[in-house]
Amino acid sequence: MAERVARDSRPSVLREPGLLRRANVAGLLFALALLLLAEACVRLFNLFDSVAAPSDTAGALIEEISDGTLSGEIATTIVTYVQGLALAVAIGVLLGVAIGSSRTIDDATSVVVEFLRPIPAVALIPLAIFWFGLGTPTIRFLVAYAAVWPILIHTIQGVRGVDRMLFDVAATSGVTGAARIVRVSVPAALPSIATGIRISAALALVVCVTAEYFVGTEGIGHYMQDHGAAYRLPELYAAAALTGLLGLAVDVAVRSGERRVVFWVGEERARR
Amino acid sequence: MSSRAFARTGGALLGVLVFAAALALWEAWARGADSFFFPPVSEIGREASDVWPSGDFLSATGASLKRLAAGYAIGAATAVSVGLAMGSSPHVRRTLGPTTEFMRALPVIAVVPIASVILEDADAMRVAVIAFGVFFPVLVATIDGVRAVPPEIRDTAALFRLGGLARSVRVYLPAALPTIFAGLRTALSMGLVLVVISEFTGEGDGLGVYIWTQRFLFNVHGMYAGILFLGLLGFVLNGLFSRLERHMLAWHYGAIGEPVR
Repeated sequence: MAERVARDSRPSVLREPGLLRRANVAGLLFALALLLLAEACVRLFNLFDSVAAPSDTAGALIEEISDGTLSGEIATTIVTYVQGLALAVAIGVLLGVAIGSSRTIDDATSVVVEFLRPIPAVALIPLAIFWFGLGTPTIRFLVAYAAVWPILIHTIQGVRGVDRMLFDVAATSGVTGAARIVRVSVPAALPSIATGIRISAALALVVCVTAEYFVGTEGIGHYMQDHGAAYRLPELYAAAALTGLLGLAVDVAVRSGERRVVFWVGEERARR
Repeated sequence: MSSRAFARTGGALLGVLVFAAALALWEAWARGADSFFFPPVSEIGREASDVWPSGDFLSATGASLKRLAAGYAIGAATAVSVGLAMGSSPHVRRTLGPTTEFMRALPVIAVVPIASVILEDADAMRVAVIAFGVFFPVLVATIDGVRAVPPEIRDTAALFRLGGLARSVRVYLPAALPTIFAGLRTALSMGLVLVVISEFTGEGDGLGVYIWTQRFLFNVHGMYAGILFLGLLGFVLNGLFSRLERHMLAWHYGAIGEPVR
């Protein structure tokens, strides 16, 4: 009820005086001015050999997407990325819940975790080629390796930080033992797990495209490597722009997913 | 020894034991399987103790650290300046917002081919890539830090009629420093990763070049040794950073009542 009142008392979007400000005209004009400046510089100083003009980039983007080349590459990237991230979520949450709920498991795994965690995933690229060969399996592994650590650490912290009182409350309802983990620890740790996944989602995309660049046989990273090496600059810039858009899309998707799944955290934050 | 301290020592011991057991298992398995890609731990250790102190390896490390220092300094200094401006003025923040958001979402690897075409020199490309990657975590932290400056402090600065620049440098910067340091820490590990990535392409020297070269020599031992060293280097740099942070922020820990460790 309180929520409905709050929503109704808000001015409608159309009446909101900040509508123009929310569309951020200044910001878009600045970006546009920057692009025009780049366009002018490239044309005036004949920099076509080192920089792609924005107009050529836009042309290449439209052409490569409409003939399916770039859209196919980005689809490949998204599939590999999602697979690797899903693997990391499964492993990270399972291990994290185990480590977080048992002091003994925590002690036993601590040195191994602290040893492996600082090794950057991309540094493993040359070794991973030997382990899994060139191509998608290697990239999937690297994405999962990079993404697992934030999820693992946040799950451990979330499970460990569960309010003891919740266990007592659960005990009065007859929830004890292993059921406690599933019905109390995991839901209570969900906001922390979601934070871990959000951090990993951004990291995993970077690692995915980077791995594709070095060991990929397909995907947007491989496309950039290919066209960069051949000095096909408009195609290179188009792919880079598309990767940036993918990064933005992932950010928006993960944030809105987080708000939906752990909606109560947002409410609490808003109230504060 | 109190029982609590005893339990803690026991726990730490268990961790070390499990780690040792994992290594022993690897050793035994690798000896039996005789796999080219998973050499026994003892052989990796021997390779590491041979390679790490060698002149070539040390000069590669030096070259990488030099690039890291240059890129980190450029990226962080630019980010703090831009971040102060964006944090203290909503107009600047709105104007630069969409552009920086887009650039931030760009995986840094996309900058590598672009920078290598513009700056033909591989070294300049690497420094540029590192600076680009370091820029964003520091920028976001600086903006957050400045925006979180309490209104009392803002009002006091206004009361003293401090101009925009003086206010940014003498009030907002110190107030935001704890947050900026958090960004600088993220940027440091990111910088190290970018050193390696940028050194996987192009010629020259450096740790990334070393590891990448071993791949073509099929020197699997050398690759393990190089990667282990990177992990160690990250650990050491992080430790040094923590010391610097505690030193620089001693006043802050004092102010919030946390013991200075």
